[in-house]
Amino acid sequence: MIKIANMHKVFSTEEVETTALNGIDMDVRDGEFVAIMGPSGCGKSTLLNILGLLDNPSEGSYEFYGTEVAKMSERQRAQIRKGNIGFVFQSFNLIDELTVYENVELPLLYLKTPPAERKEKVEAALTRMNMMHRRNHFPQQLSGGQQQRTAIARAVVATPKTILADEPTGNLDSKNGEEVMNLLSQLNAAGTTILMVTHSPYDAGFAHRIVNLFDGKIVTEKVHV
Amino acid sequence: MLKNYLKIAWRNIRKQKFYSFLNIFGLSLGLASCLLITLYVVDELSFDRSFDHADRIYRVNSDIRFGGADMKLAVAPDPLAFTMMKDYPQVEAATRLREDGSALVRRNGSTENLKEELVAYADSTFFKVFSVPLVSGDARTALTNPNTMVISERDAKKYFGSENPMGKTLLLDNERTFTITGVMKNIPDHSHLSDLHMMLSMSTNPDSRDNNWGSHNFLTYFLLKEGVDQASFEKHFDTVIEKYTSLWVRQIMNATMAEMRKSGSYIKYSLIPLTDIHLHSDRSAEISTNGNVQYVYIFGVVAIFLLGIACVNFMNLATARSANRAKEVGVRKALGSKRSYLVGQFLTEAVMLSFLSLIFGIILAYATLPLFNNLASKQIIFPFGSGIFWAIAVLTGICVGLLAGSYPAFFLSAFKPLTVLRGAIEHNGKGGYLRNSLVVFQFMVSVMLIIGTGVIYNQLNYIQTKKLGFEKDQVLIVKNAYALDTKARAFKDEVAQMPNVKRSTLSSFLPTPSSRTDNTFFPQGQLQQDKGINMQKWAVDYDYIKTLNLKMKLGRAFQKDFPSDSSGIIINETAAKILGYANPIGKQIYDFEFNSNKKDKTYTILGVVSNFHFESLRKNIGALSLTLQPSYGLVAISLEGGNYINTINQVQALWKQMAPGQPFNYRFMDEDFDNVYRSEQRIGQIFITFAVISILIGCLGLFGLSAYTAERRTKEIGVRKVLGASVSNIVALLSKDFLKLVLLSIVIGSPIAWYGMNTWLKEFAYHIDIAWWMFALAGLLAIVIALLTVSFQSIKAALMNPVKSLKSE
Repeated sequence: MIKIANMHKVFSTEEVETTALNGIDMDVRDGEFVAIMGPSGCGKSTLLNILGLLDNPSEGSYEFYGTEVAKMSERQRAQIRKGNIGFVFQSFNLIDELTVYENVELPLLYLKTPPAERKEKVEAALTRMNMMHRRNHFPQQLSGGQQQRTAIARAVVATPKTILADEPTGNLDSKNGEEVMNLLSQLNAAGTTILMVTHSPYDAGFAHRIVNLFDGKIVTEKVHV
Repeated sequence: MLKNYLKIAWRNIRKQKFYSFLNIFGLSLGLASCLLITLYVVDELSFDRSFDHADRIYRVNSDIRFGGADMKLAVAPDPLAFTMMKDYPQVEAATRLREDGSALVRRNGSTENLKEELVAYADSTFFKVFSVPLVSGDARTALTNPNTMVISERDAKKYFGSENPMGKTLLLDNERTFTITGVMKNIPDHSHLSDLHMMLSMSTNPDSRDNNWGSHNFLTYFLLKEGVDQASFEKHFDTVIEKYTSLWVRQIMNATMAEMRKSGSYIKYSLIPLTDIHLHSDRSAEISTNGNVQYVYIFGVVAIFLLGIACVNFMNLATARSANRAKEVGVRKALGSKRSYLVGQFLTEAVMLSFLSLIFGIILAYATLPLFNNLASKQIIFPFGSGIFWAIAVLTGICVGLLAGSYPAFFLSAFKPLTVLRGAIEHNGKGGYLRNSLVVFQFMVSVMLIIGTGVIYNQLNYIQTKKLGFEKDQVLIVKNAYALDTKARAFKDEVAQMPNVKRSTLSSFLPTPSSRTDNTFFPQGQLQQDKGINMQKWAVDYDYIKTLNLKMKLGRAFQKDFPSDSSGIIINETAAKILGYANPIGKQIYDFEFNSNKKDKTYTILGVVSNFHFESLRKNIGALSLTLQPSYGLVAISLEGGNYINTINQVQALWKQMAPGQPFNYRFMDEDFDNVYRSEQRIGQIFITFAVISILIGCLGLFGLSAYTAERRTKEIGVRKVLGASVSNIVALLSKDFLKLVLLSIVIGSPIAWYGMNTWLKEFAYHIDIAWWMFALAGLLAIVIALLTVSFQSIKAALMNPVKSLKSE
């Protein structure tokens, strides 16, 4: 359960202050698939980063499954992130020096999962994403679609309650994009909460609810049936 | 073009303040250390080079095996110098010095004696061999007549102030009067003769005309004619030995040279070039304490290492930061720059940094020179006026710049424009390997220096705490007791009555290392040259053994109840072993007198004293004997604990009363003991200083490198954090790679350090064993230092908001 109230985020440099989020109120239910849309610079990614506990809001409250996290330090946030949130990025963010298998294994290493269980989970995730045959390859040796499937495998391997996806199809062609969206839908159907930032109305069509942002505020919300 | 290079170089240095600082600071430290060490090495190498014809002057060394002892002497028999001169036209001039030790000196009419540390007899030919100019007097005749002397300008001032000392007299040890026939310039500091300020005419000394081929007491110098080869001239010594020494052997020992050699005994003479004496000669009867070439080598290597470490920093930081320069390279190449222009540009930048560092380095070296002089016990003056110095400095600046800058220049200029403009830089290519090897080199040097320091300090500690077999603590020594003349014994007895004084003894011989020669003894009824035993013969009094707390192993000490003890002798365990008696007590031995004019003396062995370390721990305990004879050099006073100052004041008051006008000099025995190891202590201090500097320079580089690594891996750190990595995970991740390098450097450096330090320890007959924990400790220290250095950057990177890390793309 995610609950944010009156959230603000201001970026300040020496000369200018930029308000990225300006009084956001938003609830996300367990098992919901929410798409966040809006023009460039409207604050989508900032909102997603805060929702993903990668950054702190300047003001307002954020309750993550019953815990107030808005004022937490990076160290504390890291503790909550671990195993609870999975991330999928537009640019995949795989570690170049690690193989597909090792990339997917990484979250489990940080969770100190025992080796046997780790192997089982990594292989399950890779099989599910149809990446087993590529498990010993390095990211540079993969196509964009394959890289994104690896990133999704990595996001789900620790079976988090929530997955945050930042334009997951942005760097993919339509065929690969479709495939990724189907995978996310499947995960959602299996009970994972999904929050997705996207430019694509088509992708947004996969969500239960679309939140439209403009200049740091929620302007419309649309619920699919 | 050069102007453009310089402009860009200067802007880059200013733009990258952090890295420029690391570079310049590290390189300045390295250059300053290197400069100081070079000054030290040049100073050590310059000894005795200022004399005219220094390259043609040689000293005779004697190597003798006789009576079971090996002797390496800096002195030769009295007739050798002029016999060679007479027999061989290759000799242009010859001269001898006969050390006469210290003396109490005063002007006629003055009551105040001053102590002169070194007085020597010198032949009138001294100034023919050594080009020491005379300020007054005639160099050809100054030392010809008996009872004449030449003093240095320093002593002229010391005894006569502004008066002209020529023709005036000085009184030595209250009894010998010498007329001053010459005043010479002070012998330069950089000479093994520099302590010589007072030379007496050799003709005063009857020993100089003894024609005794068996007694070695004279420092003998030859000036060989031009073109004479040292090795071929040395061959003539064999002829001289056959011709003259053999006669003496037959006469005195009643044996032939062949028989001598058959029993393993020998005499060999050789030449050592004058300029080698200071660094390569460590023989008995040296006129001054010489340096040690080993330390010159060690420091030379340390200097090169330090500069190497500093250059490594430079290369590492430059290549590590290549990514930031890559785009510039791409643009320049796209605009038509040739590779050679780029190489030129990067080298200009490197040389500019190197020169900036050189300036700071010279300032730093100049500022710390007094500290260094103190550390190395030198009086080095900064050679500001020397053209060679500045030429070498400029050359060093260019070389270091080119050396440190060449790799980065070629590395950077090789980038392909299209690749770098696309932003794809291979981070872990060859550059990575080289950087890693360089870091390993840096830490290897540091680890070696840490281990070296540890071993030296442990050995010094071992020396300080070793049981020596006698009491060295709380023993006060009053020097120049001969100034008390006939009252010496009364002085010693009265001191013994003072409160706080346990005992006192009167003798010239104490178990602190000093230059002493052996006497040759023969067992009873066996005056055969192969039965001889060389041992020290110390003249002591009844209280000697008790005062110094020596332990008797067998028999008894000297006692007043036995008048016959005056012909008794006490030997140490080593002597007893060499003599080979089952029970030495009561056996008789002869003290053999090589000079046929003097009589041999027979002694009866009264006791065996337990071995004690009367020489430096560098040597094994040799044979030693004690006899009951008057010897008035020193009074040793063993004290109870408590207030020494009072006791010293009382002793001084008594001295003033019994020896008015004579200088009162005292010291504690343990100070004397420490003096022997002064050079080791100095080496220890120098080692620790440069170990710290090397670590500091290495850490500067590591700091820069870790900052760069953290920067380069920002994205990876961000991703890992998003995936759940904790701060400690990230710190471990970033430190791990450096740790591996440090571990590798420990593995490589330890055996080298072990070998080096073992070689050093072999100079001591008594030494510690290098233990595993010294390596462990040094390794641990290196690891901790490296981790601390790296962790600063790692923690900073790990605490960063992951959003920022991901944005850095």
